[in-house]
Amino acid sequence: MASTTQHALLSPAELAYLHASLSLTPPIRPDGRSATQFRPLAAETGILPGTNGSARICFADGTEAIVGVKAEVERTRRGDGGREDDGGELGGGGGGGGGLGSRLEGDFVEGLEGDFVEGLEGTVFLGAMLAEALLASGEFAKKLWINRRFHWKLYLDILLISPPLSYPLPLLSLTTHLALLATRLPRLKSEGDEDPFFDDDWAAAPYLYTRTKDGKATSRPPVSLLVMAVGNNIIFDPSKEELAVADVALAVSVGEETTKTDEEVDESSSSLGRNLRLLSVRTIDPPSRLTPPGVPNATNSAYGAAATTQKQPEARAAESEAVEGVWKAPRGGAKALVMAALVQKSLVRGGVADEVLDALDAVDLVA
Amino acid sequence: MPITITAPKPVRQLYEDQDDVMSDSDSDSQSSKDGGNNNKYKNMINMIKAESGAAATTTTRSSTKPTSHGEIVTPGEVITDDPQWMRGHGTFVAPATSAIISSVAGTISRTNKLLSVRPLRARYTPEVGDLIVGRIVEVQAKRWRVDVGATQLASLPLSAINLPGGILRKRTETDELQIRTFFAEGDLLVAEVQQLFADGGAVLHTRSLKYGKLRNGVFVAVSGMGGGGGVVRSRRQVWTMEAANGGGQIDVALGVNGFVWISKHVETPPDLLEKTAGITNIEESVSATMYSSQNDRIEAETMREIARIRGVVTALVENGLRVDEDMVMRGYHEAVEMAILSSAGPDDIYLGGERGQQLAAALTAI
Amino acid sequence: MTDRRRVNGPVGSTHPPVFENEPEQELGASKCLRTRAPTVTRKMYLKTGVTPSASGSAYLEIETSGKGSVSGLKLSCTVHGPRSLPRSTPFSPHIILSTHVKYAPFATKQRRGYLRDPTERDLGSHLETALRGAIIADRWPKSGVDIIISIVEGDQDREASKSQGGEAWDMMNALSGCITVASAALTDAGIDCVDTVAGGVAALVRDEGDDTTPRIVIDPIPSEHEQILAACCVAYLPDRDEITNLWFKGDLPASDMELYSQLVEKGIQASRNSNEVIVSSLRETVG
Repeated sequence: MASTTQHALLSPAELAYLHASLSLTPPIRPDGRSATQFRPLAAETGILPGTNGSARICFADGTEAIVGVKAEVERTRRGDGGREDDGGELGGGGGGGGGLGSRLEGDFVEGLEGDFVEGLEGTVFLGAMLAEALLASGEFAKKLWINRRFHWKLYLDILLISPPLSYPLPLLSLTTHLALLATRLPRLKSEGDEDPFFDDDWAAAPYLYTRTKDGKATSRPPVSLLVMAVGNNIIFDPSKEELAVADVALAVSVGEETTKTDEEVDESSSSLGRNLRLLSVRTIDPPSRLTPPGVPNATNSAYGAAATTQKQPEARAAESEAVEGVWKAPRGGAKALVMAALVQKSLVRGGVADEVLDALDAVDLVA
Repeated sequence: MPITITAPKPVRQLYEDQDDVMSDSDSDSQSSKDGGNNNKYKNMINMIKAESGAAATTTTRSSTKPTSHGEIVTPGEVITDDPQWMRGHGTFVAPATSAIISSVAGTISRTNKLLSVRPLRARYTPEVGDLIVGRIVEVQAKRWRVDVGATQLASLPLSAINLPGGILRKRTETDELQIRTFFAEGDLLVAEVQQLFADGGAVLHTRSLKYGKLRNGVFVAVSGMGGGGGVVRSRRQVWTMEAANGGGQIDVALGVNGFVWISKHVETPPDLLEKTAGITNIEESVSATMYSSQNDRIEAETMREIARIRGVVTALVENGLRVDEDMVMRGYHEAVEMAILSSAGPDDIYLGGERGQQLAAALTAI
Repeated sequence: MTDRRRVNGPVGSTHPPVFENEPEQELGASKCLRTRAPTVTRKMYLKTGVTPSASGSAYLEIETSGKGSVSGLKLSCTVHGPRSLPRSTPFSPHIILSTHVKYAPFATKQRRGYLRDPTERDLGSHLETALRGAIIADRWPKSGVDIIISIVEGDQDREASKSQGGEAWDMMNALSGCITVASAALTDAGIDCVDTVAGGVAALVRDEGDDTTPRIVIDPIPSEHEQILAACCVAYLPDRDEITNLWFKGDLPASDMELYSQLVEKGIQASRNSNEVIVSSLRETVG
């Protein structure tokens, strides 16, 4: 089960075909998308009334994720003084962090049966990746500050409803992004360092990410993009099959700098493009390294009319040079330049990250 | 625009009007007289029949008896208590009675006196003679285990394949030792169901030149999709088509199990033909390429058209249409037309999202 | 899930002792500032074959940063295998790599449990990515290899009264050490590799009292700097000039790609330094 869900089991002929078609200029993707095109998706927010914020995204192939954000008031640990730094940390461990700790716990439940332990390593990796981007700038921790004695503790629970038909990072990241945008925390009525109490009126609750009057968010959580390289092409949002022939795959987390200026400046800056920040880059172990290699016709004992069964195959197949049309799992790593190009392509002004954020802007937010 | 995000749509109305998606597919079976009263369910039923595949082979509905053909039943529902009927798949007989009760949710189908219920959604159930596309998942000492999308893995015995170097050669021990050179884990093959075990497992064979290992193309699995789509059993599951835009010839294999293979059409390489010129048997030279995992050179134009056909198949399934030769061919021509009219020109092969819906609408409008 | 086979520590969390700094220390240079040049790595000690019972092993120690109370990084790595997989596992045309990174409970200021926490699992998956690019996996079909790293002592300043959020950055240093020591142990175990992979860290730091222009240093120690703006850890194959694992973290303006490239470049430089250590250590063992 694990082998079919974690890594796509593909035949060497399929892999060779995919690699060849993705290496063309422009690349031909099996589903006909252009290199920077994402899969179309349907999104909605505010689907879970019991949460502080929630969102749901689903792809046409039925892959679906739900995120619910729950907030709790927690006492800030004393003894660290009033130092104003970010004490955001992920799950486990003690809270020896900063004065205003925002604890973020990534909890993933997969729709996989049986191989929970198998999936665990992967989910830890995904959780760490999402949390890392969220906590990269101190901004997020500051939002959770109530007073010097208390802070909000935010639980982000991500539910992947369908078995992952592709590497779930873009799906989870986009859903988390929308859920956080829709998150509201009750309005604080108490003052100073006294025990906090809050306004009962939910309608008066402010958004975690502040918005302008017309409902547009002025600041936003980061998004993580999955990008891979095959040959000379850079491909975004790869499907499972495409990822199986990747030379290198990266997860690039991008945030947007909050502009502290007033609205009119905001308007004018939007025409110039967004003020993007690079928050995190992680290498994704490309599954291509675990794919079965093809056998060239020249060394295939079952090929050709002259194939005789009496010829004993060699104990270990001789290392062969790359033959056109035969799949060979890539070895080694990637050039630093290629990796830089992947990051550059996602971040460049008017590039993919820009357009993804634009599209997310257009999503109607209901809290 | 690299990303399109839409608001979720309400569930598609399956039975809104008569000229809905499937109206052209099974129009022959709609000729019955009960069109007026339950026309609400009619299209839905037709869709279900199309999905379950064998709708075309069963008798058309003509009965107005309580066990009317094509009616939807749910588990526990008594279909009939008339003892003249025999129970088939998807039903059981309550002890001490003669009542036949449905055990799945689905449509009733009658074959002479045999009553069975076809489930609305189900995994592929193999039948002898089905042409299937499968993937090797396990190699054992004398056989392969093949994933065909059914409840059980199918098995392909070493004795049921054409061995290279002579079509009717005797199987030897060496063949057993190098079993992985014929098919290894992950390999795709096209085969036929030869016989069935009592537990529903299928035994396959590839003892024909039509069958064997697949290469030079792409795979797409469309099984397990509800709502009326999927591959249906039809006259021809495998055909060669002439692609537009200089794409050359393309083979399409629609496995009855919902696995589809689209590849470049390849003639036997001439050098191999020459080598085997001495042997008059042309079949041997063809079978020589049977276990190759090396792709031939494929032009970009061909790859583009292959991707287009794959897009057509996915769009058909996503929009709840049946997948067969007729629909794929019509869909493909429609897609080529759409691409010419689109802004990006004939090289635009994207058929996801709204484009796919557009394609489906165009196909059902005729 | 509790470990029943051992006597566990107290239930619930314990507070680590926090030492208040003396006021005069606060005023003066309480912090040990970086005295190395920005492009110099700390000295390290590497020895292979330290665990005879394992197929391959290595021990890595990175020198302390001058201050008595600060311990350096001490890592021990053992490689078990290649060995055949259990019968139940499906056929694999490649070697199956499994990596385990575990901090000893006493390795850090905050005591760690016996079971691996998310941080350690995360380190494990980074390490796997880094090594998988280096080994020639198809030389060993149907076999598996386990790489187990114990971090005997983490590189943490026990006297620091305040946390600067340094744990997150310490992870980068730990990963870099893990990659280097695992690479040496793999070679010791005789597993085919395309190149000798080694880890390196570079960071963009802002120093205390410094002018505000940040600078890039290699092999940073978080406690030596006022603020770390961004850091990256690379696993690098020097002869192929390829990166097998890149982990960047921080907050950089997207418009300044030059800064990012420089950071990676410095990370590669740090990795080259570690690579030299591996190579000379291996030569010593062989010769």
